[in-house]
Amino acid sequence: MLRTIFGPLYITLPHVFLLFFVGLWGAILFFVAFLVVVFTGNYPQSFFEFQVQLMRWKLRLNARLFNLSDGYPAFGLLGTDDEYTQFEVPYPEKISRSLVLLRFFFGVFFVGIPHGFLLFFRNLIGIFISIFAWFSVLISGKYPESLHDFMAGNIRWQYRVSLYLGYMTDEYPPFSGRVDV
Amino acid sequence: MSLTHVPLPQPHDLSSREKEDAMGSYLMMFAALAISLPLPIINLIAAIIYYYVNRKKSRYVHFHCHQSLFSQLPTTMINWGLLYWVLQIFLFDNSESNDYFYAYLGFMIFINLIYFVFSIIAAIQARKGVFMYFIFFGTYAYNRVYSIQNKLMYDN
Repeated sequence: MLRTIFGPLYITLPHVFLLFFVGLWGAILFFVAFLVVVFTGNYPQSFFEFQVQLMRWKLRLNARLFNLSDGYPAFGLLGTDDEYTQFEVPYPEKISRSLVLLRFFFGVFFVGIPHGFLLFFRNLIGIFISIFAWFSVLISGKYPESLHDFMAGNIRWQYRVSLYLGYMTDEYPPFSGRVDV
Repeated sequence: MSLTHVPLPQPHDLSSREKEDAMGSYLMMFAALAISLPLPIINLIAAIIYYYVNRKKSRYVHFHCHQSLFSQLPTTMINWGLLYWVLQIFLFDNSESNDYFYAYLGFMIFINLIYFVFSIIAAIQARKGVFMYFIFFGTYAYNRVYSIQNKLMYDN
């Protein structure tokens, strides 16, 4: 209840304000990393770690905004949230340069459109689930497990697409939000 | 053996991470392009941030960040000069595009090209673990970073 009414003030506002600037830096590193990957086939490790930490921070925030976990999301790139959210991406020794160029020029068509199309409807369902789950939490104090899995799956799916479009992995994202695919 | 400076590392002494971080410092010249904001100050701000984030990683990274940052200063000032002049001509109508303006424009393009080419070469060399010294800035960075008087505590 507190999070729903005052969340935008004490959670969203400070986090989004900071994430805007850190995100700008992330955009710069993303572009530089793209150039490096195109010419060398390696994603600079420091840049990779920064992007993972940035995604982890956004994940902590999203988990609270969607009421998927309790507690206040930790600020900063080094903040931890092991009790509620986990996000690990193995560092790839090599990234396919041809795939990077393919993604750069045609990524919208073979990743953006098919995944975006499905995620749009999933997120639409997610809105109704959030409302339903909100009442469920308010009345029973419990978030229905299957709904929680669905919402977590939404985020997982989006993050997999982001990783692929961010040239951080060569693995095409599965059309699923499940853990075990 | 120099008594005033710390010995320089050989390429095989450096980790690939150090080499990548050193290379990254020169690529900050693409910062303005990355966020699609064509202001000369963006690259400089990015270089400053990169310098302060990475300078303590190792002397090698510090050297390249230092050289990259300081070599960007004259280019940034020249670009600002052009931006100011362009605004005076096309926005405020305080000046006109005379021969001096075109000469300055040519000079700016030339300086930027030199800066671009040397930065790319330096980035490639840094990734190989090789030192490349820019005129003036290289010596200055070397004396600042590899001097035994430099008391900065490095991670590596």
